[in-house]
Amino acid sequence: MGDNIALHKWAMRAIYLGLALLVIFFSLLPLQTLPRGWAGPEIIVAITFAWVLRRPEFVPPWLVAAVLLLADLMFHRPPGLWAALVLVGAETLRARHVGLRDLTFAVEWVSVVTTLVAITLGYRVVLAVLMVDQAPLGLSLMQMVMTLLIYPVVVLLSQTVLRVRKPTPGDIDALGGRT
Amino acid sequence: MVLCLIGLFLLWRIDSPRVERFRAQVIDHVVPSFDWAMAPVTGTVNILRDFQSYQRIYRQNQELRRELQQMKAWKEAALQLEQENARLLDLNNVQLDPRLTYVTGVVLADSGSPFRQSVLLNVGARDGIMDGWAAMDGLGLVGRISGVGDNTARVILLTDTSSRIPVNIQPSGQQALVIGDNTAAPPIDFIEAPDKIRPGDRVMTSGDGGVFPAGLLIGQVAEDPGGRMRVRLSADYERLEFLRVLRDYGHERVTDPGKLIAPETSLTMPGPAPAAAATDPGEAADG
Repeated sequence: MGDNIALHKWAMRAIYLGLALLVIFFSLLPLQTLPRGWAGPEIIVAITFAWVLRRPEFVPPWLVAAVLLLADLMFHRPPGLWAALVLVGAETLRARHVGLRDLTFAVEWVSVVTTLVAITLGYRVVLAVLMVDQAPLGLSLMQMVMTLLIYPVVVLLSQTVLRVRKPTPGDIDALGGRT
Repeated sequence: MVLCLIGLFLLWRIDSPRVERFRAQVIDHVVPSFDWAMAPVTGTVNILRDFQSYQRIYRQNQELRRELQQMKAWKEAALQLEQENARLLDLNNVQLDPRLTYVTGVVLADSGSPFRQSVLLNVGARDGIMDGWAAMDGLGLVGRISGVGDNTARVILLTDTSSRIPVNIQPSGQQALVIGDNTAAPPIDFIEAPDKIRPGDRVMTSGDGGVFPAGLLIGQVAEDPGGRMRVRLSADYERLEFLRVLRDYGHERVTDPGKLIAPETSLTMPGPAPAAAATDPGEAADG
């Protein structure tokens, strides 16, 4: 039984990594080399937040850090900063996930919104302070809003397809047995 | 762990080249391993897009015929000009730089984010690519090599927000900078005499600061509704597939003003005169 749970945990971690690589792969495809007037959502961040609120043991901090650092390097962003901020955001949510477990989805969404707004603002402020070239503000905001809009979809898909649900009382026994 | 990440970011801010080299190495390992999957997926999507355009094929055909007519007229003009140019070059005994050769690479991937405009080529240090070389498609300048891995090299496009290219606007000969701002037509800034520039003027690299060889075509001047001068890029940014990377080992520079009495050492020929003049017009005027 304990083996099974550990195996499942590692399988889900591998799935998280695989999803992240898939997202990176599709955004790297050289389909659009003209500058775009719009920005898509950051699906990796949405997945991270959704999973950290449901089954935090599937997304340990080192995995989040590694995935986002890879994304930083691949997407030609300043390396490390966005990863650090997302990690901080994810850990904040992780600390609150027990309290959020019994509340409705709306409350969860609001806390994700505040976290994401905070880290986006923090990102831009740090870049401004260190005088790094920045993307236009409109695009950043659009990306943030798109991420927030895609969040419920990501939650829905990960609940139905990948069965990443909040632990129910029956599960807690098993988990308690494991730890 | 957060501290490590922030430390990496600060290290990047302080010692950018080192971290960028690290980034180039990571990309060099990751992207070629995606390559087997990328090519078919990209191909499929492009086929689907082409399929959409078949619906408009009749109208397109008519348009192409009309354009072809115009092009024939231009071709005639171009042939005559080419002959004339060859004759004049011959008369002047001009030597074109023989080292201006190129390596052609295939676009592997784009930057993957809407904020950065860059593409990744499948040629790298192995093929002798070096940072700062110019990348062109068949017609015009596309960008600048920045970040070279063993098998890959990144080209920062002219549309990227960090791109600044010194240019020369013909026929008025104005010096200016083309500054990428994440739009399809980057604006021209720091023009000496803006009123001498008209939409339709040609924008070429000036070679100032040794950034690029002089005289590479970038595009044409166009005026946006706000009255700002922008470049309509000649390179086909819709479809960047094959890029030429121009080998450029730098040109000789004129650093000191000429002396009235020639030095004792054997007289060396100065570098190509147009390049020297473009490099430093101010100093040439002083001398």
